Amino acid sequence: MTRDHLERAPSRDDPDRMPRTELGKAQWTDEQRIEFLRRRKARNWLLFAALAVFCVMIYGIAIIKLHEYGQMW
Amino acid sequence: MNASTASFTPPLGAEPKDWIALLKPRVCSLVVFTGAIGLVIAPGHINPFLALVAICCIALGAGAAGAINMWYDADIDALMRRTAKRPLPAGRIEPGGVLGLGLVLSVFSVLLLAMATNLVAAGALAFSIFYYAVIYTMWLKRRTPQNIVIGGGAGAFPPIIGWASVTGHIGLLPVLLFAIVFFWTPPHFWSLSLYAATDYEKAGVPMLPVVKGAKHTRLNVLAYSLLLLPLSISPWLLGLTGRIYGLTALVVSAVFAVLCFGVFADRQDEAGVSLTGDKPARRAFKFSLLYLVLLFTAVAVDRLV
Repeated sequence: MTRDHLERAPSRDDPDRMPRTELGKAQWTDEQRIEFLRRRKARNWLLFAALAVFCVMIYGIAIIKLHEYGQMW
Repeated sequence: MNASTASFTPPLGAEPKDWIALLKPRVCSLVVFTGAIGLVIAPGHINPFLALVAICCIALGAGAAGAINMWYDADIDALMRRTAKRPLPAGRIEPGGVLGLGLVLSVFSVLLLAMATNLVAAGALAFSIFYYAVIYTMWLKRRTPQNIVIGGGAGAFPPIIGWASVTGHIGLLPVLLFAIVFFWTPPHFWSLSLYAATDYEKAGVPMLPVVKGAKHTRLNVLAYSLLLLPLSISPWLLGLTGRIYGLTALVVSAVFAVLCFGVFADRQDEAGVSLTGDKPARRAFKFSLLYLVLLFTAVAVDRLV
């Protein structure tokens, strides 16, 4: 990002700024903050697991295809 | 700090189970089952790992179509008691995320299946996603009471995809299995819609009981179950399966027809509304699930024994 972009970036108090989930600024109780963190962590693990399975599948397909047929397609 | 940011309380976000719910896991389980049977009964050999990937792709494709369906139908889902708690109408997930998930999984599942098996299977999967998401969900569902008759085709593709994954072409047996699921769908769904008609009416979905009334629906449930009887034994009559399948199909189809006759002959008022709390319809709906499981298990057992 250039200096020009930084200068034109909306400030925190800009009314047009899109609301973002910022832990420090959110109007949450402590329980809600803990729950938010728990859900985010669980979602990240799910995404990680999905990507890992996807990688294993691609790897497995490649190995088997190349070994059994000598080509991918 | 201005007022709008000060009062902003961000949502807590969705649980992983909400994202999984978007893929309609219960529908997926039936689709995976029929797809796996298609794969098992196909002549020829497929590496077990590639077979597993093919089944995963069928599940992902069905899930992707389910997510697109939930994205498109969020407005009517919010009006129906059965679907109001789904992640999108309940506001736990943004619509854009749901559509994104559906589209990404659609592309991934088709490409992965093409890579693991062949283009015929991948093409059939792509068409089944298109059929469910566009032809059924966007076109038919809100327009005609025959929505689930034609839309039933979407759920009937998995045996064809499974078979094509092994053979690279589409044979007569998977086409007959397609036809069986196709003709099974109307009595299955209309039995359910008989006791969920008020929900559909509230949402403005033209299900048969809403548009033509319960009496007409009962007649149609019976008619389709009778059509299913000869169709289900046709693989046996054509010599494509053995006696195990033939006898199982004959028995379960006869039981299903008897239960559907119970739906037709249920104690009802002049409009066809049940006076028994739709007990026969509930029984027929439950058995319809078992029907498909028994029938497809019989095809596999018949082929393996």
